[in-house]
Amino acid sequence: MNPVRTVHSAVVTALLVVPNLVAQSPAGTLVMPIRQEATAPIPYFGPSTTGNADVTDQLFLRLAALGPTARTNGDNAMVPELASRWSRVNTTTVDFTLDPRAHWHDGTPVTARDVVFAWNVIHTPGIGVDLGAFALIKTVTVTGSGQLRVTYTEPSSEQVYVAGFLLQPLPAHLLERMPANAIAGSDFARSPVGNGPFRFERRVPGRSLELRADPTFFLGTPGLKRLVFLYVPSTDAQVNLLLAGQIDVMSDVPATALDRIAKQGSFHFVTAPGNPVTYILFNAKVPGDPTRAHPILSDSLTRRALALSVDRAAIARQAFGPGVQTPLAPRSQAWFWLGGAMDPGNADTSRARALFRSAGWQDHDGDGILDRDGTPLELGIIYPVQSSVFSAIAVQLQQTWRTMGVQLDLEPIDGPVWLERRRAGRFDIDIANANQDPSPSSLAQSWSCASAAQVGSSNVGHWCDPEFDRLRHLAPTLADPASGFRAALARMAAWQPAIVAAAPVNRIAVHQRFEHVIVRPSKAWTSLWQWHVKADAMLPRDR
Amino acid sequence: MLRWVVRRLTSAGLVMVIGIAVLVALVHSLPGDPLTAIVGDRALDPASRRVMEHDLGIGRPLPVVITAYFQNALHGDLGTSLAERRPVTTILAERLGPTLLLGGLTLLVDFTLGLLLGVWSALHPRSRLARLLDTLTLATYTVPGFVIGLVLIWWFAVHWHWFPPAGIADPLLPIDAGITTVAIDRLRHLALPLATMVLATIAVPIRQQRSAVLASMSRPWVTAARARGVSARRTTWHHIWRPALTPVISLLGLWLPMLVSGAVFVETVFAYPGIGALLANATSQRDIPVVIGAGVVLVVMVQVGSLVADILYRIVDPIQREMA
Repeated sequence: MNPVRTVHSAVVTALLVVPNLVAQSPAGTLVMPIRQEATAPIPYFGPSTTGNADVTDQLFLRLAALGPTARTNGDNAMVPELASRWSRVNTTTVDFTLDPRAHWHDGTPVTARDVVFAWNVIHTPGIGVDLGAFALIKTVTVTGSGQLRVTYTEPSSEQVYVAGFLLQPLPAHLLERMPANAIAGSDFARSPVGNGPFRFERRVPGRSLELRADPTFFLGTPGLKRLVFLYVPSTDAQVNLLLAGQIDVMSDVPATALDRIAKQGSFHFVTAPGNPVTYILFNAKVPGDPTRAHPILSDSLTRRALALSVDRAAIARQAFGPGVQTPLAPRSQAWFWLGGAMDPGNADTSRARALFRSAGWQDHDGDGILDRDGTPLELGIIYPVQSSVFSAIAVQLQQTWRTMGVQLDLEPIDGPVWLERRRAGRFDIDIANANQDPSPSSLAQSWSCASAAQVGSSNVGHWCDPEFDRLRHLAPTLADPASGFRAALARMAAWQPAIVAAAPVNRIAVHQRFEHVIVRPSKAWTSLWQWHVKADAMLPRDR
Repeated sequence: MLRWVVRRLTSAGLVMVIGIAVLVALVHSLPGDPLTAIVGDRALDPASRRVMEHDLGIGRPLPVVITAYFQNALHGDLGTSLAERRPVTTILAERLGPTLLLGGLTLLVDFTLGLLLGVWSALHPRSRLARLLDTLTLATYTVPGFVIGLVLIWWFAVHWHWFPPAGIADPLLPIDAGITTVAIDRLRHLALPLATMVLATIAVPIRQQRSAVLASMSRPWVTAARARGVSARRTTWHHIWRPALTPVISLLGLWLPMLVSGAVFVETVFAYPGIGALLANATSQRDIPVVIGAGVVLVVMVQVGSLVADILYRIVDPIQREMA
């Protein structure tokens, strides 16, 4: 390991001591790069980009935040944010009480009406919100100005999480006279009025966005005076800015830049469990025809043989550097609370060959490619040409599988065309990356029988296993939901709908002048307001 | 001359109309999900998709789209960005300034310093310095621009901290900063992208000018001027250089659109917020109104470049002037 000073998993340790910090006035500036421009940093309405999400997290709070364990199960797993407390009425009803100190940046109190307004707005057709995540909620009603009652469709240990974390209030007093479809293009989207620790200051299109600390923030005065988000789409340019001392943090630092940043001497690395997972998806159906099973990939023996041929550990290390994991099922590091052993990700080529033989694949005609009933084991893989990581993975797969007698044709295609083709299921194999929600229940969006049958869903591989659905659905109702989710994931791993290439760690470079550095697993920057600049290490831009 | 100008402007207008119509048709025919800019890789149910496509006018027949585009364009409306939900004209206006600044300065340096070096190199073909210049410019021309950019960033920004490695302005500059402070900040941010652009391109005008001057030196009117005892200085600049400008003017006409489009790689490497980066990003997102808007700017620039070149021909070349 290089001489990087690693503050390993600062997350959990720091969260355990979440001090209600900061009595003094805010000081210091943090400059952070974002890869996509934050064009509309508001919940639900902005384009689905990390740029919008990172800024939105500073402007808008949730009713409840993830706690130190990052668990989503249990009424006590979440910690209060806009809601000061919640109480269970019965197995399908929870009452939330809003913190009376919470207010919008224009001074108006945050009320239960704002939550109900958001609930109604997200159901407007054409907004584009994936309502699958809210399937557990039945009704949201106001029971008092600061009182809210949420009823659910069924008992679940994730009820508080779904309403508290996923349903974010919107300022009804500013938006209710506006057609919902007009909000994304409104002045509100360009200059949002939020309720978080930082308020919107200005945006220079194409360049930067600035937030200022809200000294009246009800959870405590922010430690930093301002946040500046620089729009820098290129990772290389971000690294250069970091090395030149012009930005203070950088997340998802590429493995190739670790040594250079370490040698620079002004930064240390903080690692946090990341929520992305990169996988190689098998299409269970004939490309473009979801009514017919795929002639090769619908066979689980063949899928497992293909998976066992691949040295996932080597691929993951090469693409993402140290700290990466190789789970057998799509499970990001942010779900660390599920526990259980992690697969090392090594190839087992002799077992893979045996499985190919069991599935009937042999090289009958001696051309080096396995065949069965006259059909060669020939597959195509699609991936966006813009992604150097995906391109490298595709080439490694092609070389590996060639030695096993599998012909893999590479189809690098333009990003939007790739999205269109994968949505239409027109592929044999696809490489994709998912930023997973905090709860494993979200697997239903991409890996359930219901989503397989739904046009336009994220289940583009049309994988459907009723037993997996049963186990996943059952998990939140168990006394030990983590073991329930592990059982569901083990079931998925056994049926191998995809090869999970990597679950990378979120490696963040942080300038050494910052203290109280807290980075959260699923939402890395939600505790930025608790960061401080050491008094004796301030730069001119901090004053 | 007036008739020529009217004829030239008419043909330029016609070419622009045809060019824009083709552009609109081509961009609307691009493969890929047209809702990428809004939805990304999120799931979207068919009902919501239908509503969004209807609201955004996606899926209309091409003749309707083209007609509507011209109708709106005549009123100064180039549509609304799908990703930003802001008028395309506003977005283009924000990005055009930085691009024109970088591209304009590049052309200025290329066509002043480059021409002077070209002439000097032709007049001193056997000097060591000319050979060194030849080698150096050839080297920078053959090296890809982004490599030059990365090398400059490494030494001048990361290693020595002389210039910022990216961006167009210091985001921490106070809003009420004085004009001198702002100007110095802009120049510091421009230094490396401009140096990259110039190093990557200046070889062409130097070599073009050198060849043209060398060819011009053997013309009979130069021999005649020398025989008449015209001073060396006047012979060089009046009898050799002026006719040698014609190919360089052609090059200038061709390069004017580079003001807008040619800096894509530099804008990417330096995170410079210009039209090139906007066009690249909008294309990858399928933000169709922005792609077309940026394309329209390019079509106009090509026509302007061609027009400027034709006018300059007539200024420097008496034969062309008489033909007009």
